[in-house]
Amino acid sequence: MYLYVYDAFLNHKKYASLLNRIENRLADLEIKGKICRLNVLKNMQEVIEDGIKNGVKTVVAVGDDQTFSKIVNVIAEMDITLGIIPSDNKSKIAEILGIPEGEQACDVLAQRLVKKIDLGKINHQYFIDSATISDSQAILDFDKFKISPTTKKSIISICNLGFLSTNQSIYKQRLSIPTDGLLEAVIAPIKETFFAKTKSANQSIFPFKKIQIASKSEPVTVTIDQQAVFKTPVNVSIAPKKLKIIVGNKRLF
Amino acid sequence: MFKGDNSDRPSKNVETIIGPSVKVEGDFNGDGDVIVEGIVVGNLATKNHLRVGKGARVQAKVTAQSAFIAGEVNGNVTAEESVELTSSAKVKGDITTNSLSIEKGAKINGKITMNGQKKTEMEIPAEVKNK
Repeated sequence: MYLYVYDAFLNHKKYASLLNRIENRLADLEIKGKICRLNVLKNMQEVIEDGIKNGVKTVVAVGDDQTFSKIVNVIAEMDITLGIIPSDNKSKIAEILGIPEGEQACDVLAQRLVKKIDLGKINHQYFIDSATISDSQAILDFDKFKISPTTKKSIISICNLGFLSTNQSIYKQRLSIPTDGLLEAVIAPIKETFFAKTKSANQSIFPFKKIQIASKSEPVTVTIDQQAVFKTPVNVSIAPKKLKIIVGNKRLF
Repeated sequence: MFKGDNSDRPSKNVETIIGPSVKVEGDFNGDGDVIVEGIVVGNLATKNHLRVGKGARVQAKVTAQSAFIAGEVNGNVTAEESVELTSSAKVKGDITTNSLSIEKGAKINGKITMNGQKKTEMEIPAEVKNK
């Protein structure tokens, strides 16, 4: 049984036709289920818990990367399969999982190719994509060795899924593979020009299973999937094969 | 064989990159290929290939299956298969390996031990310098 969770921003009338097309396609493919539209009064956790009580085995999140990140935290500890339908073509998570946008994603859902993927875990919070620290004061403690940036400005990303870098010769187009049982710490110095800040090509990449992030002086901020925020020190670890998710044939791993 | 720093040479099994903007302190142990472009202090070990880039400074005991050194290494280097030193390499420490190649200009201060089938030992007391 399927439960479709529409993120709150889809309540805007400009998405009405997209949602109609999705619902029609789901009906054609005979994978229709209960639809829940989130709003200020309807919380994602409650909606999913209610659905599970009613026998839901697959939850499909309709929205953007932030929607998918939020839902991952809710269902990580539950024995259900996640499906995603991106509302536009800007979703990095959907691109990597091989899910096309809008109603085309329904065909992928119908094929039901399920993979178990890893999740990152910071303290007790799970993340599917990455955690970032925009402070050179951070120290990555790998138990036997410590790593610290030597430049004044740098971004540290802890990646579970995604492109590690786009402009580095050796790691060109390399992905952080979400089924390898490892997270990757990527340290990129920031080049500041008059017009913009850009990540330098001289990135450092360290695969790991468990680290602690501390700081040289004041606590630094760790942002998970561009939403939740933690202060150091934090423990980061991998939760291998934690999430059952529907992927497409065109997935990048 | 020696073409500058070979910085664009692709590696099939690259796992760890210690970039120029990073300092690693402690016992670093890697399973895959390791590229060092920054600073390493302590011990540096990998079960695969190690490449020490031109600007890298390694103050550590180095252990790898094979090593390509273009930067500065202060410590003993042990590589099961081979060690390759480019003209910009500076090694202050003993080198133990089965196969060694040294480009003109490389500087070595230490004992070289070749662990080949004949187990010959050779000592180079002075630096090999570019004229």
